[in-house]
Amino acid sequence: MKKDKKNSFNTPEGYFESFNERLMSRLGQEETDASESIIPKTDGFGVPPGYFETIGPTILSKTTTEKGKVIPLRSYPKFYYGAAAVAAVLIIVFGLNWNAKTDPVTFDDLANTEIDAYFEANASELTSYELAEVVALEDIQLNDMLEEDLNNEHILEYLDENVDDVRDLNLEEIDYE
Amino acid sequence: MIAEETLVQELKDQKSQAKAFEVLVNTYKERLYWHIRRIVLNHDDADDVLQNTFIKVYKNIDGFKGESKLYSWLYRIATNESLTFLKQKSKKLGIGDQELKDRMVENLQADVYFEGDAIQLKLQKALAELPDKQKLVFTMKYFQEMKYEDISEVLETSVGALKASYHLAVKKIEAYLKAD
Repeated sequence: MKKDKKNSFNTPEGYFESFNERLMSRLGQEETDASESIIPKTDGFGVPPGYFETIGPTILSKTTTEKGKVIPLRSYPKFYYGAAAVAAVLIIVFGLNWNAKTDPVTFDDLANTEIDAYFEANASELTSYELAEVVALEDIQLNDMLEEDLNNEHILEYLDENVDDVRDLNLEEIDYE
Repeated sequence: MIAEETLVQELKDQKSQAKAFEVLVNTYKERLYWHIRRIVLNHDDADDVLQNTFIKVYKNIDGFKGESKLYSWLYRIATNESLTFLKQKSKKLGIGDQELKDRMVENLQADVYFEGDAIQLKLQKALAELPDKQKLVFTMKYFQEMKYEDISEVLETSVGALKASYHLAVKKIEAYLKAD
């Protein structure tokens, strides 16, 4: 018998060495018992008639372009041309940035007269709506652009003539109480 | 039936790939379908996942290194596709995994492709209560009669752990079926 040094309990010879084998054997026995248990032998699932005859061709049609022809998994020449194109673009962009001036040109560098002359010479193809999208409302000094100063009376007159439903204005509801 | 090694070689060869893939589909479509069906329960969902599985197999066949058996690899892809499908479904519906499983089992009662009786329906409810892996072990062993060694390759779990898991699954299912 094997003796444990720390306490006086003993175990049969070879108990731990054979434990795994006995356990596996018992689990195997319980499998046999399971097959004789109350668990149904089948799970009750069915398929539409002829399903397995048609699913094969369906799968094959999604993995080949035409009969007998296989979609190439990799196209090496295209891969190399693409990689070369990307590399060329990167070299050009990097080269341009390398040679670029350190001080970028800003609008402050341009005189107002130069800006005016640009707009007079180049009729903008942008509509007023498109311009409004890119220019912040705060930046626009409306009275700088109009011959007459815009007052509340003008605004109300415009709204009265051009707005059918006041809800279109999306005005916030103000609680005057 | 074509030897697995030969089939793998033909699948990797561009000239014979199409024909070999057809053989692969015809050989494994039914087994994989039932494996998937027992996970997703619904025929239409199983049909979708089965097709996605084979498409994935087709696209990744060059990456199959042959370290495991071919069908183990197929089963692993099918299992992952099924579980991913369920995760996506639960996310789409905005419900948890367990609630989805419960709903799927409830839907079986009205499912035209579920021909089970009351005890078979109750079995599905019992299976829905098991952890995913334990349910897989049970269905692969009990219904598909796979060997533990093969299940071990698919689920990447030791044979001993699988046997213990199966034993526990049987106990839980029996207790559920006996309860009112």
